[in-house]
Amino acid sequence: MQNRLARIFLPLIGIFFVLGVWAVLSTTVPDLPSPLKTWQDSKLYVLQPFTKRGEMDQGIALLAYQSLLRVAKGFLLGALMATPLGFFLGLSKTFNRMFDPVIQVLRPISPLAWLPLGLIVFQKSEPAALFTIALCSMWPTVINTMSGVKAIPQEYWNVAKVLRLTGFQTFTKVLLPATLPYMFTGYRLSLGIAWLVIVASEMLTGTPGIGGFLWQEYNSLIYAHILLCILTIGIVGFLLDRMMGFVEVRLRSI
Amino acid sequence: MAFVEVRNVSKSFASAKGVREVLSGIHFSVEEGEFVSIVGSMGAGKSTFMNILSGLLKADSGTVTIGGEPVKGIHPRASVVFQNYSLLPWFSAIENVRLAVDAAHPEWPRKQQLDQSTRFLETVGLGGALHKRPSQLSGGMRQRVAIARAFATEPAILFLDEPFSALDALTRSTLQQELVGLCSQAGKTVTTILITNNLDEALLLSDRIVPMTRPPRAKLGDSIAVQLPKPRTASLLMHDPHAVRIRAQVVERLAEFVHTKKSAAPVLPIKASSIAEEKAS
Repeated sequence: MQNRLARIFLPLIGIFFVLGVWAVLSTTVPDLPSPLKTWQDSKLYVLQPFTKRGEMDQGIALLAYQSLLRVAKGFLLGALMATPLGFFLGLSKTFNRMFDPVIQVLRPISPLAWLPLGLIVFQKSEPAALFTIALCSMWPTVINTMSGVKAIPQEYWNVAKVLRLTGFQTFTKVLLPATLPYMFTGYRLSLGIAWLVIVASEMLTGTPGIGGFLWQEYNSLIYAHILLCILTIGIVGFLLDRMMGFVEVRLRSI
Repeated sequence: MAFVEVRNVSKSFASAKGVREVLSGIHFSVEEGEFVSIVGSMGAGKSTFMNILSGLLKADSGTVTIGGEPVKGIHPRASVVFQNYSLLPWFSAIENVRLAVDAAHPEWPRKQQLDQSTRFLETVGLGGALHKRPSQLSGGMRQRVAIARAFATEPAILFLDEPFSALDALTRSTLQQELVGLCSQAGKTVTTILITNNLDEALLLSDRIVPMTRPPRAKLGDSIAVQLPKPRTASLLMHDPHAVRIRAQVVERLAEFVHTKKSAAPVLPIKASSIAEEKAS
């Protein structure tokens, strides 16, 4: 019982502490809206989350939905490239030696660097954004899938050999199930990165979504909405991670 | 020509300390329908030899033929049982067995594959655990699944690589009896090669026992025939005068072989008196 109380109250204390720091800061920094003002200015967006008033002037859920849709597309595109790449890297030493240096160099590149390149190549903001999300978010999936394949115990390979499984059977019955938990760890991390990238790409391309809205409200000097966006991004990111974490734990328990 | 023929097989492994010759110029043959045990101590290169026989590993030199054909990869009608069960943890017992049946008989309809798998799992007493995952089964039950899997493909040759050594003594003897049952039940006897460090197990199951020396450069000794009627029981081996005599012979021959081949100083049995002295001092 005491444990349960602690589990509810301790996080609340943390939240109130941060709100307190925010409130104190807002009295000293002139342009920083207080928590109360942020709520008053954002009420309309939170309480009518699905109302569309203009291209950017939409309820917060609608904005988040548009960003999530973009993230989903970019993430799927990335996963579609990353998963097979991870398998090849894990299975073939030659392939690994060939491409590992390239991957290590591409991995740390910021979305802000990829986006202009995407705009040059695709000429349009939407595919450029997807290209950036896919390229930035794919690496954890590549790395985790690769290590998953490398971690398959020799005894499973022996089973495949001894039973004389076909290549396809080996893939579906041994390789894939053995690697699945690792792949999902990769997917979870990749999705986190995709959600980080979305804000930057929407800001730069000005497309409607949570990042686009944030940037527009900054330019229109409505600072309370910046805080609303920041909180929304945080909460949605947290929920995404929890969701993927849930799937991951279920897969690991097999 | 015997069913299984091994001529002059050698195998070395490169390690940080240099090249280690594990097997050196091994000759070995098994007739069709014969049950042969290779007995040696831990780390004697028995598993290496088994992997070469089954086709999991390539020999550096020499030839291995099964049924007159040189071994290239796993023989289509061979089954292997490993010490560590080697079940796929994401499949249930019946799915593990059916995977083997499916690989051996892809032309069978799913129903027939499932029936075959069920039948063999029932034979090893796992009729009630068909849909359990390996993680829900005990070590003995897991090895039963592995044995059912090996027999369900109706193999022409069976390789058993220390199948019982990870099990406790009681489970071990039950499973040995079940193996005796499966081997004789199959109608025509399956050619079987068993690797073991347990002499009683070898005596219980085999027609012939082949001792193996310690590495490096492990060699096989002359084989010892076990001329006792089958199926045998553990109590027969202990009490029947004829069986006891054969048992003693085999023990003697094995001990002789292993001791004379040992390069270091012979290990003498520790006398009770010397232990007492140590304690006193």
